[in-house]
Amino acid sequence: MTALALSPLATLSRRRLQLTARTPRELLVPLLTPIMFALVIAPALKTALHTPASYESYVAIGTIGLLIPLNTMFAGLGVIVDRESGAQRELLAAPVPRALLVLGNLLVALAITGLQVGVLIAVAVARGINFHASSTGVLWFLGAAALFTVGMYGVAEILASRVPRQEEYIARVPAIAILPWFLAGALFPITATPVGLTWVARFLPLTHGLAVMRYGLLGDSSGLHNIWRMSSAPEMAALSIGVVGLFAVLLTAVSVRVFTRAALR
Amino acid sequence: MIEVEKLRKVYPGGVEAVAGIDFEVAPGEVFALLGPNGAGKSTTIGMLTTTVRPTGGTARLAGFDVRTQQLAARKVSSVVFQDAVVDRSLTGHRNLDLHGRLWGVEPAEAERRIDELVEAVGLRDLVDRPVGTYSGGERRRMEIARALVSSPRVLFLDEPTVGLDPRIRAELLDILAALGGRDGLTILLTTHYLDEAEHLADRVGIMHRGRIVALDTPERLRAGLGRELVELRVDGDPVGALATLRSRGIARDDAFAVGSSLTVPLNGHTSSEAIAAIHELGLAAAVSARQPTLDDVYLRLTGGRLAEAA
Repeated sequence: MTALALSPLATLSRRRLQLTARTPRELLVPLLTPIMFALVIAPALKTALHTPASYESYVAIGTIGLLIPLNTMFAGLGVIVDRESGAQRELLAAPVPRALLVLGNLLVALAITGLQVGVLIAVAVARGINFHASSTGVLWFLGAAALFTVGMYGVAEILASRVPRQEEYIARVPAIAILPWFLAGALFPITATPVGLTWVARFLPLTHGLAVMRYGLLGDSSGLHNIWRMSSAPEMAALSIGVVGLFAVLLTAVSVRVFTRAALR
Repeated sequence: MIEVEKLRKVYPGGVEAVAGIDFEVAPGEVFALLGPNGAGKSTTIGMLTTTVRPTGGTARLAGFDVRTQQLAARKVSSVVFQDAVVDRSLTGHRNLDLHGRLWGVEPAEAERRIDELVEAVGLRDLVDRPVGTYSGGERRRMEIARALVSSPRVLFLDEPTVGLDPRIRAELLDILAALGGRDGLTILLTTHYLDEAEHLADRVGIMHRGRIVALDTPERLRAGLGRELVELRVDGDPVGALATLRSRGIARDDAFAVGSSLTVPLNGHTSSEAIAAIHELGLAAAVSARQPTLDDVYLRLTGGRLAEAA
């Protein structure tokens, strides 16, 4: 990307950040449920189910799989607000490539999600949840989290471009953000579900993202093994991060195209 | 500065919003597209600002084709939209600054222009407040200032005073009138307020059902109806009354009916002769003579046709 394009991209990202900062719900609401899980529900499950202490760590990573979709879907709301009562048409009339409007929003969604994931992990650590991460492991974790966020923001942007009103958008959030979370090994291994659902889970980007995040931050490769049935953890992690990367690239490209076409009448 | 040739837009579903229009606007000229809602004015602006994809024809801004040189065409132009298109939670200054940055104005130069424009549109005391707290007139003034931060060569004003109360509207018209001729700025204005077109525009194109049905200076358009006309309100069938006046040689083809009113240009008759003849026929509940306005031109071209179509 040329320096010529970076300046408007920075301007657009700064604008989105300022708008988001004036809408606290976009920052805070997505954090509530994951933190509730990390602080209340996971310990309760541990007590009730007499599981080992590592289950809290397992669920802490699982909650990131809820936080990212929720946060990106909230970020997508900003696109509808822009279109309904904001400055979207002014931006469309500006002499900048329209793909930058999507990418500017994406950068802010990525930054805010990063902040929220950081808060979640900090809270989890403060609560006594243990992570066993090497520096390579952190990179696996960051890569999976970032790519999954990019892909999910693409989903949000596509939905926001296709759905005319906020109410309709909100109505679709549970199916997109929450339903896959139950299937993707966030709370229990995917092999604990009926065989058919296990196969469905293997095709969900979230399943791959969570498996890589757990491998990176907990050193636990069982999630990867449940997907690939291979012996080499790094190979399985590479394959899974490839899946999440493909999801990110594809959804970003489609979101740019859908936004551009929807914005033009 | 603006060249439009056979420009056409058909929306999905087959609605032809703009049916192949042609016009040119010279540098520094203020050109108004006048027409009722649905005439195709906003679609025309949409195509010129590259937010509506033309179905056919060509359009150029400062020589840049709006289809193939979109970024260059957008770089030389700015738009004031019909509805509020602002970041409400940001301050007026931030909205202005954002425009400058996106249009590539150097920050120091943008700041200088913002300072000057804020003063010119009377927003000095408001500029650091969120735009969401502005009244409709204040917001519209901010949007006009914003459009000028990039010193555009072409300014599009899409129904700039619609929805404003009369006092605010009058103030805004003064601001818009002052823009005409500013640094060679070319303005394309759409409106359905006739006085606005008459007050601001060097030339007027009257749009009806996607076509430009008349295009000239306001004076020449008015002159087409002669120096004087009579207007009468009839009790009975206005179309029948118009036919009677035509058969008696009082009205010609340029007379027209809108609702219960007939407007009759006086082609060679004096107003006293025409009024006397109308009274003799017992057609009118009220009759008066006056000079033609752009209203009459507009109604003859659009209202009359609407009545015929009904």
